[in-house]
Amino acid sequence: MKRTILAVDDSLTMRKLVSFTLRSAGFEVLEAQNGQEALNLLHTTRVDLIITDVNMPVMDGLHFTREARKLAATQTTPILILTTESDSEKKNLGRAAGATGWIVKPFQQQQLLAVVGRVLPGSIAVATAA
Amino acid sequence: MSADLQQQFVSDMLTESYEGLDRYDRAILDLEQGTADTEKLNDIFRVVHTLKGTAGCLGFHRIEKISHVGENILDALRNGTLAATPAIAAALLRLSDGLRSSLQTIASTGRDDTGPNHDVLIAELSALRNAEPHLAPIAVLVEPEVTLQEPTGVAAAAAEPATADAGWGLFDTPSPTGATPTPFAPKETSPNPVSVAQAAAPITATTVRVDVALLDKLMNLVGELVLSRNQLIQLAQSRRPRPEAVADLSQRLNLVTTELQEGVMKTRMQPIGNVWGKFSRVVRDIAHELGKSVRLETIGSETELDRTIVEAIRDPLTHIIRNSVDHGIESPEKRAQSGKPREGHILMRAYHEGGQVIIEIIDDGAGIDLARVKQKAVERGLISGEESSRLGERETINLIFLPGFSTAAQITNVSGRGVGMDVVKTNIEKIGGSVDVHSTFGQGTTLKIKIPLTLAIVPALIVRAGGERFAIPQVSLLELVRLEGTAAAVALEKVYDAPVFRLRGNLLPLVFLHRELKLPGPTTADSAINIVVLQADGRMFGLVVEEVCDTEEIVVKPLGKHLKGLPMFAGATIMGDGRVALILDAFGLAQHSRVLNEHNERARSNRGASTAAVSSTPRTSLLIFSLPGRNRLALPLEQAARLEEFTHDKIEHSGSREAVQYRGKIMPLIRLANYLGGASKSASDSATLQVIVYRRAEQTFGLVVGEIHDIIDEVLEIQSGSEAPGILGAAVLQGKITDLVDVPGLLRAAGIMESKAA
Repeated sequence: MKRTILAVDDSLTMRKLVSFTLRSAGFEVLEAQNGQEALNLLHTTRVDLIITDVNMPVMDGLHFTREARKLAATQTTPILILTTESDSEKKNLGRAAGATGWIVKPFQQQQLLAVVGRVLPGSIAVATAA
Repeated sequence: MSADLQQQFVSDMLTESYEGLDRYDRAILDLEQGTADTEKLNDIFRVVHTLKGTAGCLGFHRIEKISHVGENILDALRNGTLAATPAIAAALLRLSDGLRSSLQTIASTGRDDTGPNHDVLIAELSALRNAEPHLAPIAVLVEPEVTLQEPTGVAAAAAEPATADAGWGLFDTPSPTGATPTPFAPKETSPNPVSVAQAAAPITATTVRVDVALLDKLMNLVGELVLSRNQLIQLAQSRRPRPEAVADLSQRLNLVTTELQEGVMKTRMQPIGNVWGKFSRVVRDIAHELGKSVRLETIGSETELDRTIVEAIRDPLTHIIRNSVDHGIESPEKRAQSGKPREGHILMRAYHEGGQVIIEIIDDGAGIDLARVKQKAVERGLISGEESSRLGERETINLIFLPGFSTAAQITNVSGRGVGMDVVKTNIEKIGGSVDVHSTFGQGTTLKIKIPLTLAIVPALIVRAGGERFAIPQVSLLELVRLEGTAAAVALEKVYDAPVFRLRGNLLPLVFLHRELKLPGPTTADSAINIVVLQADGRMFGLVVEEVCDTEEIVVKPLGKHLKGLPMFAGATIMGDGRVALILDAFGLAQHSRVLNEHNERARSNRGASTAAVSSTPRTSLLIFSLPGRNRLALPLEQAARLEEFTHDKIEHSGSREAVQYRGKIMPLIRLANYLGGASKSASDSATLQVIVYRRAEQTFGLVVGEIHDIIDEVLEIQSGSEAPGILGAAVLQGKITDLVDVPGLLRAAGIMESKAA
């Protein structure tokens, strides 16, 4: 069965990059532009993994992570936050908010897939081989 | 990643970044003015942050590096640890310039390491970041709450995961064997170099943002369209379709198509603010450069225009704005002297009016000094001193649209770059728009630009000539005149072989469409004449067509490359019956038929001839002569074959007419004095007769005149009104009122020519 990943980022380019990487690895990808949009989506759709940017308008990634943890459906869903080297303290903020892990931007495609493979074991045949 | 994909991501990044940087510039300008709030700072922080992230992912490390430094400053600004100073604002503006230039490099070469390296800027920004907040900080409206919360106790205490430098990590999952994931080999750090040709295409214009609700509506409409099509197919198959059913269906189709058309048009619409966004920056930069203080205000940024038009007006508007700051707004000292606020004010206003978009650029500057404009135009040899004395206010202002005109006393960086208002005007007219200037000396200038909403679908008049149908866009259409029966027979006159029509006392030059396009003439014996009165470059002319059909909304299709060089056509369209009709270009048609001649005028003004035309009329060579009692009369030289002198004894008589022998033939003589009112009929006392040998349709006549004065080359602007027999009208030639002799009329009056004009 195809696993579904929710990619949350306010940058269209970033979203496309993430979705493209994940889709080519065989995932179903849903996109949202900010935390609020992502939350709305989560009310109606089940996802296996959430990858979210931190700095976004309307609702940032940390706030979103906290809110997602309050929802029954996503209480245990893995959430990865995308941070940059420069705001490494956000990793800790992310942990406090309930994130599962972090990925530093800019990332390599394989890097992204490796983390996803780690959080969703058995989901990537292609990526683990790569 | 394949080159295609990389290219696509890059193009996405460019679009997104340019949009962001426009917002960024505006916010920094606000920062400079002290009106930036935390929300704005957050927003532009995100712009730079996002750019850094995406650029990094795509392998553009220079952008990543420079935005990283910028991000640090912005971060410090928004959480209040750094106070904004003018120096910081200026540096941040340079940052956006740097980023833009790198993006430009990427757009054209596909990589950023060939462009500028920004080391100086990076050093400067870092220095500013580390400097103590000092001297005259600009007030930032810091709100107590910043987007990100301060680290809580728990988070702050949490240990940094061991794999911090690996690029990723998990907080709770125990690391599997081989604990630290090895960093991946930098396999695709540099982007696949995209071929220059491929990347050189303007990437910014390839995507459009469309509102989701609108997209849904379009989909609905397409659904409706499909249903209608199905019905149509069914109807077509039925043996005897009921007429009502056909009517119903066509009405439905009409409705759906109209809505669909409007909807799709909306997707192409862009707020004019997209262009204006950049102007506050332009104004600031020029004002700084010139030591002026100027505030730009915009009203109606949300006014929407077709995106092709938005693109097309970008450069003209930029030029106008530059002009306003450079020539319009005075220096603060001068403004203070004339009792104005030191800060100049430019207002840009856009609104819809009657299916058009009006853009006004209003400044409270010095206004246009008419005397200086005239003086300059004379200096540049665009008009003669004499001509300048006769120009009214409007005409004088319009001089600024002449090629080669500039009033800037000294050539500054800002102006004098070889692009004048003439180019602005041409470019706006190219998209079917017009420019109008009003100015009050000492109080300011208003430029009013009218442009159509879209160029893709335009209302047009369908006409027929030579068996073909043509579409004339309604923007250039003024009125229609139909002459029937006897009116048609006498309506067309000839001014020196050029057909004209007297429209409410003005002479309207006529162009016969079938002759112009070398199509067969009308075959029917219908004597009615249809004149379509068109306007091109501010001049009117009449286009004679066989039949005026109907007005229709036509879809403009560009002509193929091999037909692009034809100035008479603006494109093609497909008519209701599926046949193709060409769209006529009024301006091109007027030029082609020489009703209006732009090239000549350009060439002249480049030469700097002392008496270049103000209007676009071609010049005419005229013979100036006098009769006893009539001091100034003129004839076109073209038709005068020779000037001769005859002694009185050469005059013989042929029938009731005077004639002379001329080159072995009998040449009838016509004494102009006998036909023109006011001329004294008494024979001149000179020994010889001055005769203009006039040739017309294989026949030669001698026009007996008093004295021949001069031959001049001037723009002939006949001002009609003189109803005297034998006189076409008057014109100001060499600064004097001169009556133009109606030679064909005279010949008719003299009974030499048949009374009906050919």
